[in-house]
This record gives sequence, C-alpha cells and structure tokens, in this order.
Amino acid sequence: MSDCEKTNYIGKSVQRVDVYEKATGKAKYFEDYQVQYRDLLHVKVLRSPHAHAKIVSIDASAAEALPGVATVVKGSDPDIAWADIPYASSYYGNPAKDEVIWAGQAVVAVAAESIEIAEQALELVKVVYEELPYVVDQREAFKADAVSVTSPELGIAAGYGGVQPEGPNVMGSYKLTHGDVEKAFAEADVIVEEEYQAGKKSTSQIECNGSIVEYHEGGGVTIITNGCGVHGVVKNHILTMYPQLSSNKVRVIQPVTGGSFGNRLFPLVEPLAVLMALRTKRTVSYVLTRKEMYTSSPSNWPVYTKLKLGAKKDGTIIAEKLELVEDAGAQIRGYFDGRLSSSGLMCVYNIPNVQCDSYAVRTNTMPCAPYRGLGCAESEWAMENLIDVLAEKLDMDPLEIRLKNILKKGETNPYGEKVTSIGLGRCLEAVADAINIDEPCQQDGGPWKYGKGIAAAGKQNTPLGRAEADCLVHSDGSIELLVSCDEQGMGVQTTLRQMAATEFQIDIEKVKVTRADTAITPYDNFGASSRTTYTTGNAVIIACQDAIDQLKEAAGRKVGLAKKQVTIKNGKAYFVGSNIESIDIADLYEPFSFFTQQTWGLLKGTPVRGRGVFCPAPAVEWFGPGHEDGRTPRMWNWYQYSAFGAEVAVNEETGQIKILKLMSTADTGNPINPKLVEGQIDGGVIMALGFSIMDHHMFQDGKMMNPNMSDYRLPTTLETPLQKNFMRAILPDPLPDGPFNAKGMAESIMIPVGPAIAAAIYQAIGVRPTEMPMTAERVLKLIKDKEASDAK
Amino acid sequence: MQNRANYIQVECEINGKAVDLLVSPDRTVVDVLRNELGLTGTKQGCDDGNCGACTILVDGKAAKSCSMLIGQARNKKITTIEGVSNGDVLHPMQQAFIDHFAIQCGFCTPGMIMTAIAILNENPNATEEDIREGLHGNLCRCTGYVKVVEAIEDARDKINAGGVN
Ligand code: FES
Ligand code: FES
Repeated sequence: MSDCEKTNYIGKSVQRVDVYEKATGKAKYFEDYQVQYRDLLHVKVLRSPHAHAKIVSIDASAAEALPGVATVVKGSDPDIAWADIPYASSYYGNPAKDEVIWAGQAVVAVAAESIEIAEQALELVKVVYEELPYVVDQREAFKADAVSVTSPELGIAAGYGGVQPEGPNVMGSYKLTHGDVEKAFAEADVIVEEEYQAGKKSTSQIECNGSIVEYHEGGGVTIITNGCGVHGVVKNHILTMYPQLSSNKVRVIQPVTGGSFGNRLFPLVEPLAVLMALRTKRTVSYVLTRKEMYTSSPSNWPVYTKLKLGAKKDGTIIAEKLELVEDAGAQIRGYFDGRLSSSGLMCVYNIPNVQCDSYAVRTNTMPCAPYRGLGCAESEWAMENLIDVLAEKLDMDPLEIRLKNILKKGETNPYGEKVTSIGLGRCLEAVADAINIDEPCQQDGGPWKYGKGIAAAGKQNTPLGRAEADCLVHSDGSIELLVSCDEQGMGVQTTLRQMAATEFQIDIEKVKVTRADTAITPYDNFGASSRTTYTTGNAVIIACQDAIDQLKEAAGRKVGLAKKQVTIKNGKAYFVGSNIESIDIADLYEPFSFFTQQTWGLLKGTPVRGRGVFCPAPAVEWFGPGHEDGRTPRMWNWYQYSAFGAEVAVNEETGQIKILKLMSTADTGNPINPKLVEGQIDGGVIMALGFSIMDHHMFQDGKMMNPNMSDYRLPTTLETPLQKNFMRAILPDPLPDGPFNAKGMAESIMIPVGPAIAAAIYQAIGVRPTEMPMTAERVLKLIKDKEASDAK
Repeated sequence: MQNRANYIQVECEINGKAVDLLVSPDRTVVDVLRNELGLTGTKQGCDDGNCGACTILVDGKAAKSCSMLIGQARNKKITTIEGVSNGDVLHPMQQAFIDHFAIQCGFCTPGMIMTAIAILNENPNATEEDIREGLHGNLCRCTGYVKVVEAIEDARDKINAGGVN
C-alpha cells in the first residue's frame, strides 16, 4: 500500500474515538458532574394539569419559607427576561405568566438543597386556575372557527412566510404553484386522492435533558449541558434572555452526550437553571424526569396531509395537489409554516404540475421541535401510500411506478432546483430484490397473514447557518481539531478526524478532536438536518488546508522555495527543486528560551492555527419578488435518499404486526465511515419501526395519558427481526460539494419504513392504513370495518 | 436537613470491595452508587424500571438499580460497569461492544453490557433468541440492536473458546 493510500481514511471503518470511555463507564455525561459539586441546588418544577387555563393566583409563600428552599420562580417575577419570548408561552422552559397553554407547561419552579425538599416545596404551592376551552386535535385547531389556543387578547403573531392567519391558530403557511395542476388533472387518465395522518411522538432518547449551571463570583456562569449547539443555541439564547450577562461571562460546555434526534434543538432547561444560578449565586442542577421528557419537552410535529395525484395510463404522474397541516403544538410564535414537512412531497418524484398549500397550526399540546426527518416521515407517509394506490389502479408494480417517476440526476424538482446527487433508483431496486417483491408470500392458513411492501424517501438538507473549525498543528507535529458541532453519538468526532488525517496524509493517531466548549472551540450552529458531516466537515477541510498552507510557506522559507514547491504529508514537508528532500514538521518550529529575542516565525509551544469557515449557499427566499409562486432555484441544499422493503406478518385476530424481514438502503453520498453509517441505518430503522407501528402520545381530557416508558411503547430486541433478516446497504451517489463527496444521511432512513409496512399490510389482509402509527388496535379496527363492509 | 435518626446501615460488596453505608432507607441503589460512591458509570434514564440504563449485577444476576432500595443491597455482591474490566484489560464483552460498533451515544451501554454479562452468566451458550429475550428490558435509541446482539454473540464465542473471564 502506498503512503497515500495508508493515510486515506475516507471510506474506512475507523474505530470511534470515544468508545473506550463509554464501554468502561468512564465517559462523563453532564449529570456525572453533579458529584463534583457538593453544594448543588436541585430544581423541580410544578406543571400545569390543564391544557388551557388562566392563572388566577399563585401562593408560593409556604414553599419559600420551607427550610432548604433557595429560591422560587414564578412567571410574574420581574427578573424573568422574556425578551423576544411571547409572554404566555413557555417555549424555552421558564414558568408561564398569565396563562398555561398545554398540560405540562411550567408554572412554578423551586431550587432547593435536595430533590426531596424541592418536591416538598412544590406540594406547598397553591395555584388557582380558571380553565379555558382547549383544542388538542390539529384538524379541529385548523378550522376557521376553532377554539383559540391562547386567549385572543394575548395577541397572536402574524403568520410566517408572508401569509396572514386564516384561523385563530394558523401560525404560517407556505404555498407553491408549479405548472398548471387543474389542467393536468383534466388530462390525467387516473386520479387518486386520500387523507393521511401521522401522530404525535417523542424522540425518547435514553438520557433525559438537563444541565448544571455553575455560578462564578462577579456574575458569570458555566453551563454544562446536553443541549444542542453550545454557541448557536445555548449561548445565543442565554445572552438574549439575560442581557446582564456579557458574552465573556457565559461559557457553555457539551460533555459526552446522549442522543437528541432533534429534541434538544431549542434551549429547554438552560434558561431556568441560569436564572436560578444568578439569583442564588450557587451551582444549580436541573434534570427533567422521564415524565417531563414526555409532557414538557418537545414532541415531533404531527402532520395531516390531503393528497391527490393524477397519472397517465403509462404510469407517468403528471399532477400533484396537496394540502398539509403541521401541528406545532403550544407555541405562539415560531418559524413553522408547513414548508419543512411539505418538502418531503417535492423531492422524490419529478411531477411537472404541483399545487402545494401547507400550513402550521397551534394546538394545546406540548410544543414541537424537530424529530429525525423534520416532518418528512410524517408527510411522505401520504405520498408513498397513495403511490401504491395509484400503482394498483394502473396495474403496475410498486417498483416500476417509482422508478418511472423518481427524479433523475440533472433534472429539476418542483421547487425549480437542479438535482445534483440522487442514488434512489439503485436503493429501490436493492430493497425490492432483497425481499423478492415479485414473489408472493406463502400463506399458512393460520391467523397470521403475510405480505411485502417497499417505499422510497428523500429528505432535504436545510442550509443552516455557519460552521467554523480551527486546526492546530502543534510544534511536535500533532494535530488538534477544535470544533463545536454536537456529538450526540453519531460519531462525527471520528469522521472529522478521518477527514483531517486524510488532508494531512498523516497517521490518524496523530489527530485529536476537542469537543464543544465555547471558551475553546469556535462557532457552530447545531446538529440538525443531517448537516454536520457536510457543513462542519467542509469547515474542517478548509481549516486543514489553511494550516497546511501556512506550513508550506514556513517550510519553503527554510529552504528558499516557493510554497507551491512544498508538499505536506506523513508529518513532513517534502520539497521539489531543492537538494533537501524533506524536513520534519516539528523541525519547522524554532526552539526558544525566555531570553530569545526577535522570535518571529514558527516557535515551539505555539501551534500553527488554520481557520475554516463554511456557510452553505443561502436559500433564495421563496416569497420575495419574482418568487410569488413559491419556487426558487435554491430552496434547500442537497438531498439524502433511502428506500425500505419489508416482509410483514399481520395477525387477523389481534391486529398485531411482526416485521419478519427488512432491507434498508441509503444514498449517503460517499460514506466517510461505513460502519458508522450502518449504525445510523440500524438505529434509524428501529426508531422508525416504533414510529410506524408502536409509539405515540395518547390524549384524554387534554392530557397525555402515557408519559412513561411502559405505556409509551418503544421497540426492543423483541420487535427487531433476527440478525439474518435485518439487511442494509449503502448505495452512494457522491455529492459534488460534500466533503470528500459525502452527505448527511441519518434522517431519510426513517421515512420509507412506515409506508413499506403499510403496503405489506395491504398485501397481507387487504386493508390500507392511513393513520400512523399502525398500532394493533388501529389495524384490528380496519380489519373489523372491512369485515363489516364485506358482509354487506 | 435529613433526619439521620432514620438512616440504616448497609454492608455489601461493590466491585470486590467491602462497603459500609449509612444512608436514608428511601434511597435507591442507583442514587447511592452515583451520588454517594461516585460510581457514575451506572446511568439513569427513567425511574420505573423501563429503560435498563441502570442495570447492575447483584450476585451475578442483572438487576435494575433504579427499582431497588438501598436496603435490598444488604450483604449482596454488586458489580457495576466500573468493576467489569480487569485493570486496563477490558472484559471480552466490553471489547466486543467496541469491535462491533455497538456503541453510539453510549448512554445505554453500561446497562447493556451488564445485562449481556448476566445473560452469559446464566447461560454461557445463549442463542441469538436467548440473547434477544434477555435484552428486551434494555432500550437503545441510537444503535438499534443488531450490532449489540452481534457483539454479545461474539463475546460468547470468544469466552467459550478461550476460557477468558
Ligand atoms: S433507570 Fe432503571 S430502568 Fe430506567
Ligand atoms: S447508544 Fe445511545 S441509547 Fe444506546
């Protein structure tokens, strides 16, 4: 193997950097820092039992007087800096002021010497509520005459996206017109139409959200948190909410952190913990309980989709009309407008005439945040199901109709964007092949019926903000990357290390990655929309190249050559046109003593610092002049794709579903670390199995009825097919502008799982689910309804 | 602020060391391990025995330490993730989790490893089905379970072949 191949770490399954400490219990997550603070205060929060109520009065005097209570926070306290935050809402976790708008919203918070004392104090708080009408069903909330989620006098922010509200709860809307839909439907040979619903879910990461806030004399804070985005989310919000804190007095550290899957993308615990630390001048720990993770931390946004497709006899889809409503939960203001969810309905198929009317609506349920896939698993549920209906009408098979209509590289999608990377065709063929889609399942005459299904998916990458990276080349030749991107288990520290080692053509052991700490690592937004590999990865490459450039210059000076005659690899500078063949990088740095004068140039002890800044090209606003139709040549960034196939057993008597065999394929761009990609596929598939057939919030009287891990059912080893029946493949189409042609990939995996299972259910028992998750109860109801209608 | 008069004395063995505790009887084992003894490798993801992150070994069997009061630890031999390796030499189960990429965020990992060791303690020839059955109380949201089961099968085979641990 040549030196160059040896130090090319791209596409190699290099072991993760953090596994030794994780396998031995030595890895320190934020809560593990508690033991180091012996005088810690603990936070507990009293939460609204009502979906919507006016807070008439709060009497917390007995709680305040309880020995061991350090402070009590109410929404009406003057030091709650609401800044830009709507005062009735508690999006950022601080107690509500006048009104609670979901069951689980914070009302009073206590910091005390122990958790027990804090809980005791909350029992002493008396709150008088006046209950108000509420709405938890998003279709109800969307109506023009719906119950208002907040008292109208609290003032509702105007719709986002330039469209004014069309009912009391409509937050925003996004509309797109591509071609002439009505004309196309008139020309279509076959038209299909259906309504679909995807439910409310929690990401349910095993590590609960929380942070420890250390107070410093002089009014500063250090926040040790599992929140996302040390700079882009946590620090930015804290500085906005507490203007008395100057930027140099706020330090945010992300230690080893459990998965987030989008749930921690908004600061939820940090604002309250900081407020309490500032008040008490003590170190404060605030950790959500599992129940609070369900009732008080964000859910996904459920999506209702009404979809209509028109096709020619040969299977070419020529018209798509969709009305989509995303349920943003209890928030007054936000960026939701349906654009994120509806993107899933415009990135997979090449449909020349599209009318999209999408909206976001508020409800009196916990506010939403991203959930792996940004609403596309919820919306593509509609598209993939309806395509199967269409295929049946046209007497086409599910693979054929998809292959015929999917976007091809170089084509333009309904937004008007040119597709630069799409590996979906191969993904689809591979899943169809793996489960032998053409071969019908054997039926055994028992209550279990068998069927197969496939589905396709795409997911946009939102071109979010900026990533920076610093690359230090220490004077012994070792390399350190300083990055602030979130590492919540995806393995990005490892992939960034692979990229840097490859850039320097150096043994990977010489590269270390220093994780997010605002006092050390430069700006990054947050890990969302599968952006980290692409955005931070590109920043890392730029930083490495900058450092290499500086080394070349320094090395060139040593031997009297221009830098273009210098190559850096294997920890050495190599020269062309000199009688000196090479110099060790370490020898470029001059030794110096305390008394050395005129110490210009590279010095021992002072690393070369390469800087990398990367911002994806911005989206072109879709409602500006010239974009009245909602189209733009740059709506999103790139797209990741996935396909899924499953063989499923459905119990006719109970409605129960078992996944017997599955195949997931992913177009990841060029994968940096295949084993890490496989891990994302596996985890994404299992998460999606729950999402599709098991887990969802159940409401009664406006309250979530299953806020614990036994009633909120998550997939275990028992719901997972046997090893030999769990198949996956990485089928990349390289992304031209990705780092080493990679793209992010962890979201699209989720999306096709539900519809493929639905197709298999239809094949097995002849009913088509339209609501997800397809729980046993729901499937059984479909079976009973069918029996009743067949009997007629 | 706590009334120490109610405290109970609990003698037990933790990771091979005799421990003598004087603590309030309403405390759970996970709380004492983490907050009194600084053994923070044992994680807590819920409070009602449903996630498995807090799994430890009690006399060699898997137990959820969030659902055990400290009194139940009396005279028991407890092993936590910190007591699994032999100095710097990893337990084959730990090594297998690393080798098979069975760790992502790692929050479920200590509990998974403890349960896995208990499964093989009980049945050194546990089949894939036995392993799945034994592991169903441990939730993982990142990795899924494929690589975890693969790791446990590998550790089983290595232990059986080499007589390690
Ligand atoms: S913490 Fe014990 S089972 Fe979840
Ligand atoms: S690795 Fe994150 S929960 Fe299992």
